Amino acid sequence: MIYCFHGLVCLSLITFQTGIMPSFLLGDVPYDFLVPLILYVGIYRPVREGVVVALVTGFVMDNLSAGPFGVYGAAYIWMFVASKWMTTFLQMRRNRFLLSFAVALGVLLENLIFLGAFAVSGAGFGIPGDAVRVVGGQTLWGMGTGVFLILLINYAHEKWDGWFRARLSKES
Amino acid sequence: MFSKSTVIIIGLIVLAAVSVTVISVSGKRGHSSCGFGAAIFFVAPFQDGATRSVRFVRDIWNHYFSLVSAAKTTDDLRKQLSHSVEKVNRCNEIELSNFRLRNLLNFSDNTNERVLAAQVIAKDASPWFMSVIVDKGMAEGVARGMPVVIPKGIAGLVTDISQHYSKVMLIIDRNSGVDALVQRTRARGIVKGKSDGCFFQYVLRKHDIIEGDTIVSSGLDGIFPKGIRVGRVSDVSRSNSDIFQEVIVTPYVDFEKLEEVLVILDLPGHPRTYDTFVGEQ
Repeated sequence: MIYCFHGLVCLSLITFQTGIMPSFLLGDVPYDFLVPLILYVGIYRPVREGVVVALVTGFVMDNLSAGPFGVYGAAYIWMFVASKWMTTFLQMRRNRFLLSFAVALGVLLENLIFLGAFAVSGAGFGIPGDAVRVVGGQTLWGMGTGVFLILLINYAHEKWDGWFRARLSKES
Repeated sequence: MFSKSTVIIIGLIVLAAVSVTVISVSGKRGHSSCGFGAAIFFVAPFQDGATRSVRFVRDIWNHYFSLVSAAKTTDDLRKQLSHSVEKVNRCNEIELSNFRLRNLLNFSDNTNERVLAAQVIAKDASPWFMSVIVDKGMAEGVARGMPVVIPKGIAGLVTDISQHYSKVMLIIDRNSGVDALVQRTRARGIVKGKSDGCFFQYVLRKHDIIEGDTIVSSGLDGIFPKGIRVGRVSDVSRSNSDIFQEVIVTPYVDFEKLEEVLVILDLPGHPRTYDTFVGEQ
């Protein structure tokens, strides 16, 4: 059931950032909203569950995007590994400042992997001229709003868990 | 046999090697997808539903609620006026969409190719990669490698398909390339994407290109029909040491406002075998 929850969250975020936001003509999506989801599973969930979510989400995004296949998958897996590593020495679950910082780092890491992919794959003309502005803007957006998305996912997960347990105990 | 930290370090090295290899191989071979359209098959209907709902709500908001709230605060005469304004607005909208669709129709009448109109339902989430998802797929006759155009010019190329949806890589994507000509001087080169526009590459310094020149497809790549507009030259620079000149092209297509496109289903004189979707009959 937990994978159904992650699947629903993933689908909602993808639909929101690729279907709804462009329809409102709000310009570029401020940053990848799946970054907070990957960080959520990295910080709050067990390894096995997080790896599955990161791989499946990466696979879906790779297929929906025009980027070289594997770039989202690699970004999400590395983000997951980094977040797991950070939880070994930082108490991140209840510290909102650290969560904001983690989202900013996640967005930064994702963009660095994308820009690295340009260099590795030989596509285009090296690093884009506006890279600093775009990456800086995304990182700030992530730092300012990503923590709320993580807390929202955590809240929804607790509700989902409560509802599911109540149903189970009713049936038994 | 090994300590835990050694295993972790070896794991991270392997992960790094796998990441670099996969990205490098798929980037160099131009693979932007794998999984035979399965992800598009599952996700695109939700994107389609969300886009249609948002457009529906937006239309209602624009054409109805704003006028209703205004009408509540005015007298009868103002009400009549509001209704007239609403009608005019609606007529304007209809006129605009009529103009757009007529353009599409005229365009499809004037081309020798069989074309299929499709609606854009989703856009790439990253500012570094440029693609859109359209609501026509294998069931409607779309296949990988088919060119996508609008009356203003070339929009992109179908790179992945599912039953009823397709992914289109736009010409401003860094992996995109279109064999093209300068309409005035017939100087040939490759139009490559650069996220916010295009470069016209491999044009020898001796060729005469000036700002404002129109770039059209050459048809030599076997993908895009000959003579379709690509963009306008917005900057030319020639350095003494280089054999090529640097030409920046602004596409005619406004990719921010791309809503409807035409997929060219077949090109006369360019018989091709398109890749097929797994499970296709």
